[in-house]
Amino acid sequence: MFDINNIREDFPILKRRVNGMPLVYLDSAATSQRPSQVIEAVSEFFENHNANIHRGVHTLAVEATEMVDKAREKVAKFINGETDEVIFVRNATEGINLVAYTWGRENINKGDAIVVSILEHHSNLVPWQELAKEKGAELRVIDADNEGKLILNKTGKVKSITGDGFAIKIGGLDELLDGSVKMVAVTAVSNVLGTITPLEQIAALVRKKCKALILVDGCQLVPHRPTDVKKLGVDFLAFSGHKMLGTTGVGVIWGRREILEKMKPFLYGGDMISEVRIEKTTFAHLPNKFEAGTPDICGIVALGAAVDYLNSIGMEKIQAHEEALIDRALKKAKKLVEQGEIEVYGPMTAKDRAGVFTFNVKGIHAHDSAQILDKYGIAVRSGQHCGAPIVEHFGQMAMARASFYLYTTIEEIDYLFEKIPEVKKVFRI
Amino acid sequence: MNDYKEEIIDHYKYPRNFGVLEEPKVTVRENNASCGDMVEIYARLDEKKRIEKMMWKGVGCAISTAAASMLSEKVLGMNKEDLERFGEKGTIELLGGSINAGRMKCATLAYRALIKVFE
Repeated sequence: MFDINNIREDFPILKRRVNGMPLVYLDSAATSQRPSQVIEAVSEFFENHNANIHRGVHTLAVEATEMVDKAREKVAKFINGETDEVIFVRNATEGINLVAYTWGRENINKGDAIVVSILEHHSNLVPWQELAKEKGAELRVIDADNEGKLILNKTGKVKSITGDGFAIKIGGLDELLDGSVKMVAVTAVSNVLGTITPLEQIAALVRKKCKALILVDGCQLVPHRPTDVKKLGVDFLAFSGHKMLGTTGVGVIWGRREILEKMKPFLYGGDMISEVRIEKTTFAHLPNKFEAGTPDICGIVALGAAVDYLNSIGMEKIQAHEEALIDRALKKAKKLVEQGEIEVYGPMTAKDRAGVFTFNVKGIHAHDSAQILDKYGIAVRSGQHCGAPIVEHFGQMAMARASFYLYTTIEEIDYLFEKIPEVKKVFRI
Repeated sequence: MNDYKEEIIDHYKYPRNFGVLEEPKVTVRENNASCGDMVEIYARLDEKKRIEKMMWKGVGCAISTAAASMLSEKVLGMNKEDLERFGEKGTIELLGGSINAGRMKCATLAYRALIKVFE
């Protein structure tokens, strides 16, 4: 069963006090905290198994290699992919760049189009802008409605604008898709608003209308909900380990094997080769072909431990817990919205929204709200959250964001709403 | 609330020299990528290249707004060397001397724009 008190016991940092108050950590969308089980996996690795992986004959090298292999199996199983389809990179950003640099540069040409959405984190927007610029391709952007939900239907009013060195179209997905679209890169959950995007519907529409590949930014999905790449029916899934209880420095790009096999390597060097001669080099099979150089070995092992931990709790239960948290936050917010105290951005219904609550106190900049909340031990993020286009979509310069995870309690949500009115008091508005 | 001294709140609520300066003027801009704060500064220099008048427009938090407002009163008569000597450090002192490290970019936004007036 889901015992929140037991779970919180596993996270040593939650005992910390900030400005004399118990820490209320509401910034898990930026990075999660780590349980003792992960912290211990790190020290266990360094104390007993540390060695470089691959081609080592000595005991430690064999152990370290086995631990990395094991972690890869765990991660693959966690998303229902195949083990050699899991490529370890530094973070989701690097994973998306890997696809843009290799598959993108080989398959996207002048006159082709790349589809992204207005909800994208900069990491799933900027690499595609650069590719469009370099290749003379068009960038097409799925627009969102005033609740921050993606528009899939035809709107009948596709907007054409000129970007910095590339053409842009903005509209509903249905009217953006045609034979020239080669890549659809879209987030599963908005990191700014928590909007859950209808991935299965998007995939079905894409498959019906073109031969484009689908890349999903899973940073806010994989840590929070059961994820099954086969069910999603997509081609690439990128996510970061540090948002799912792992350490910083390890991310994953999962891709379908037949696509990965045809792709050129991203980085060249050690570990990714099969045979090297001065005149010619052949490359290793998956996944090593995409993993040049010594990776964050301990980080990979720690990610394996994080997956074990999440499995021990159960992803369905984590999802249900977070649904209850966002439901509570939206209900609490309703009153303050009606009183004109705060503005809330994104869907107002819990079923359309992951554990991300985004708001501004009326007349107060998000940074000021965040700093005043910090005095009460509350950690919320403020700014553009690496998602400037969707922040501006709501006519804002910045937003405050409270994001939840399995260790967040209902009491913490209530405490946040108890302290939000304090923000205005400081400014005497 | 160390960072929100009376003076900061006063400058935030009633920003001084807010608006666009008439010609002749030098216009400079600076923004903070992480939070979207933006400031545009208009300065008129006298014949000795000293700041004769500064006005500004922008959107930002209390700290960045108060800093721009306070600077607009403080820097009059300064030339490039004076302003450089005053520096980001002087700006922080104007704000009361103790700014949370996470807010340094807010505190120094207007200064970083203003120094470009002499480029």
